[in-house]
Amino acid sequence: MEVKIVVPHMGESIVEGTILKWLKRPGDRVERDESVVEIGSDKIDVEVPAPARGTLKEILAQEGATVAVGNAVALLEAEDAAPARPKVEVPPEPVAAEEGEAKQGEIPPRGRRRITPVVAKLAERHGVDLDQIEGTGLGGRVTKKDVLPYLEGRRPTQEAPEPKRKEETLPTPTPPAAVPSEEEPVEVIPVTAMRKAIAEHLVRSKQTAPHVTTVAEVDMTRLVNFREKHKAEFERQEGISLTYMPFFVMACIRTLKEFPFLNASMEEERILLKRYYHIGVAVALEEGLVVPVIRHADRLDIRGLAHAIHDLAERARTKKLASDDLKGGTFSITNPGALGAVLSTPIINYPQAAILGVEAIRKTPVVRDDQIAIRHMMYLCLSYDHRIVDGATAVQFNQRVRRILENPLELIL
Amino acid sequence: MREITYLEAIREAMLEEMERDESVFVLGEDVGAYGGAFQATKGLYEKFGEARVLDTPIAESCIVGVAIGAALVGYRPIAEMQFADFISCGFDQIVNQAATLRYRTGGRVAVPLVIRAPSGGGVHGGLYHSQNPEAWFVHRPGLKVVAPATPYDAKGLLKASIRDNNPVIYFEHKGLYRRAKGPVSDEDYSVPIGKAEVKREGTDLTLVTYSAMLFPCLAAAETMDKEGVEVEVIDLRSLAPLDWEVVFQSVRKTSKLLIVHEDNRTCGVGAEIAARVAEEAFDDLDGPVMRVTYPDTHHPFSPPLEEFCLPNEEKIVEALRRLAAY
Amino acid sequence: MSPMKRQPLDKEDLLRMLYYLKLVRAFEERLSILHRQGKVLGGIFSGIGQEAIVVGTCYGLRPEDYICPLHRDLGAFLVKGVEPKHLIAQIFGKRDGLSRGKDSYLHSGVPELGIFGSTSMLGSNLPVACGIAYGFKLRGHDHVVLGYFGEGAASMGDTHEAMNFAGIHKLPVLFLCENNLYAYSVPVEKQMAILDVADRAAAYGFPGTTCYGNDLLAVFHATGQAVERARRGEGPTLIEFKTYRWHGHSEHDKAFYRSEEELLEWKSRDPIPQFERYLREKKILNEENLGEIVRRVEREIEAAVAFAEENPYPEPESALEDLYA
Repeated sequence: MEVKIVVPHMGESIVEGTILKWLKRPGDRVERDESVVEIGSDKIDVEVPAPARGTLKEILAQEGATVAVGNAVALLEAEDAAPARPKVEVPPEPVAAEEGEAKQGEIPPRGRRRITPVVAKLAERHGVDLDQIEGTGLGGRVTKKDVLPYLEGRRPTQEAPEPKRKEETLPTPTPPAAVPSEEEPVEVIPVTAMRKAIAEHLVRSKQTAPHVTTVAEVDMTRLVNFREKHKAEFERQEGISLTYMPFFVMACIRTLKEFPFLNASMEEERILLKRYYHIGVAVALEEGLVVPVIRHADRLDIRGLAHAIHDLAERARTKKLASDDLKGGTFSITNPGALGAVLSTPIINYPQAAILGVEAIRKTPVVRDDQIAIRHMMYLCLSYDHRIVDGATAVQFNQRVRRILENPLELIL
Repeated sequence: MREITYLEAIREAMLEEMERDESVFVLGEDVGAYGGAFQATKGLYEKFGEARVLDTPIAESCIVGVAIGAALVGYRPIAEMQFADFISCGFDQIVNQAATLRYRTGGRVAVPLVIRAPSGGGVHGGLYHSQNPEAWFVHRPGLKVVAPATPYDAKGLLKASIRDNNPVIYFEHKGLYRRAKGPVSDEDYSVPIGKAEVKREGTDLTLVTYSAMLFPCLAAAETMDKEGVEVEVIDLRSLAPLDWEVVFQSVRKTSKLLIVHEDNRTCGVGAEIAARVAEEAFDDLDGPVMRVTYPDTHHPFSPPLEEFCLPNEEKIVEALRRLAAY
Repeated sequence: MSPMKRQPLDKEDLLRMLYYLKLVRAFEERLSILHRQGKVLGGIFSGIGQEAIVVGTCYGLRPEDYICPLHRDLGAFLVKGVEPKHLIAQIFGKRDGLSRGKDSYLHSGVPELGIFGSTSMLGSNLPVACGIAYGFKLRGHDHVVLGYFGEGAASMGDTHEAMNFAGIHKLPVLFLCENNLYAYSVPVEKQMAILDVADRAAAYGFPGTTCYGNDLLAVFHATGQAVERARRGEGPTLIEFKTYRWHGHSEHDKAFYRSEEELLEWKSRDPIPQFERYLREKKILNEENLGEIVRRVEREIEAAVAFAEENPYPEPESALEDLYA
């Protein structure tokens, strides 16, 4: 019968071994315990003995190959005279983890309904009669997740709701139904899940955060010239084109560090300043806009950002984005300018505090030193949540981004 | 950023700190020419010589005591326990000597000492090569205790531990040495002691963990994501001091808490977290605080027996499902 | 003054050493009285009868040299430069004591004066002594470390681990064993199978010698030789001082396990009158300068006790402080 020769356990933290030397060839007869192969790791080298007497049938890994501990490197045709080693039966893994927990998870049916502390707190604070709410918890318990949408339904505007994944009751104004006729034909397009999700997200954002947009005008000439000069070489070296977006991202991060309230979110009575920088970069797809996130974007340099942006955009277009890629952003940048827009009033990517729209770069006549000059000009449109950010701060933020983009050497520091 | 293994990260941290500061030196069994039982100190002996990479006799109490003495006269020793299991042989010097020196001198001395201890099971180590003894030391005032999970954190935290002026016990999980690979920055960086990190954001459930358990926790969170439950995974990184702010912030957001650790259940670090959350965040809870831990037993050698005991992705997913449904 | 070199001690040194003997004795006697008056709480571990050892070993050390004394070596603190008032405040648990109320008796040590305070785990001071010595060696300094232990502490694992380590690396450590024949109530025959702790040094690769612990100058010179050896880089020495304590293990202990005869015999070997006799023979000591020393010691002790009695207790909340740097 066929027996495997495997890579042995060579130390507590060793996970693989390298075939150093085959001492036997296929077809060779081997005695039990006779060395068949030498395998090495960075701790030790071992000679592996045959587990049974027989003939070496097949070598599965050649000299120099690396194989995981426990995996087979060769097959041995063992003579039945030596009793085959009994297979170790691994008992099926128990589904229940530990004893104690089984009791915790189940709610024994009781006369009174179980109310947890947070539910009690919400009920008291908002004067909610819990009997009015259908419970989706164990045993029909009313959970926090049941109470919150109920509250939202009651008072649609002022609460700061949690971002929900499931469908829920958001008050959406319904337009009067159009009655199609020959004179006034109407084509009905069903709303896709994605569009619905985007719609809900946008509505929630607008209804929660008071939006204000402030505009700064940036002289992009230096950056335009820089890019012109370097883009060919960059593309040759990196295999992707050099856009302005990496510079926008870096300038924003630099400025966010000075203006932390724009890298924040609001939650009930607290503002959470994020001390990490996950920057969302909007990508326009046919079905709508998605905003994949570059995580810890502050740890990347221009090249790193260029690659990250390119990679996310590619994956967005080929529908290969993971749900993780869309989560956790602390600030977003959108680029209506790519399509020619001159000014915009972007909607904040809730629950972030702000979003920066970068517009089209156009050659424009401007005044410099009391003379007319032609410069590459661009508007920066910053929409911000006025609950978290006040006007002066937002303007200063925008101006700072402008100054960095106008003096791109600052990005080196 | 470069990708290196957890072991390389630890080695790099020591190398860089020893280059940066002459007062840093390493002592322990087999750390010198051999490079350490796990090769953690490989190369240091050749670079810094035998006075700064000292091979000691088998005497954990003496190793710790000598390190304390050297720390008193201006050195920053890194004492290696070959396995965390052997830390018990130096227990008195750690808990009665190192942990009390600043206190009993009325705050006049500092003991800038690091004790590195390879901990953790799942490596067929049996009873004396698999332990997770961190709880004993988290319990003792005067000590700091850290337990990184990723190479980035391993390097940063070891640097921070070496630079810290207190005795720090650095638990490095031996199972992660070669299995955990990840990016580290080329700049000189450190990860502050006492700060946890949200390794995965979520809004439905908080999962607090540390060390090797981070990985099955992240995998479990990924599974739950597909079931529509967003799990926020917090990697404590430091056990003493512990980042209570991050934990409480998350619990306030999600109202449900699961703690996962490889150490035994009773009086493990999870018990302290559960107690404190119940005490201070009771009104934010929408379900019981649960734990997935090793049971109250030893690390048996026979593989199916140890498998049975170790927390893993399946057990974590099961607990997450139960808690999410509560 | 370079008393650690092998030159005759001059008159000033000798009188100074007598002053220390008198100071330590008076201090310890006063402590014993205060304890019996209920003014001192906690354990007092009297070193009365063993003064020659603390004075003879510590006299003439450099400020950079470190000592790692145990519970019975209160006198070493005084010889190394601790002011009596801070020591009494420490024993009272007051704010200006050495550990600011955090620990009792001698546990805090005085880092600024090169005194490492031990824990209650006997022998645990010796690996630390080795660590300090290793630090000195790494820097190329020729300072030394004196590690004290009793014949009881000689049985602890840490003592052996430390001696082994010191022997391997030829560390500048002196292992000073004060063999006073009893570890609490356990007599030396039940503590070890050998007669002299000094014999153990050979097992760790360095010389061990016994010394009559009640002869101040014998102690001084034996220590001096070992210190010079260590400063030259020749490694550790174990010196076993044969001596006896007059009081019990602590002031709570009536020491009924010893015979009256034995105690009287050792009392007749009181190190202080012995030394006074020597000084008189050398025409160094007379009634006048002896009187000066005695009065000075009395004044200092009175002032120290007054200071400590007036000193306030630390704030209770300070119990939570000083854990972390």
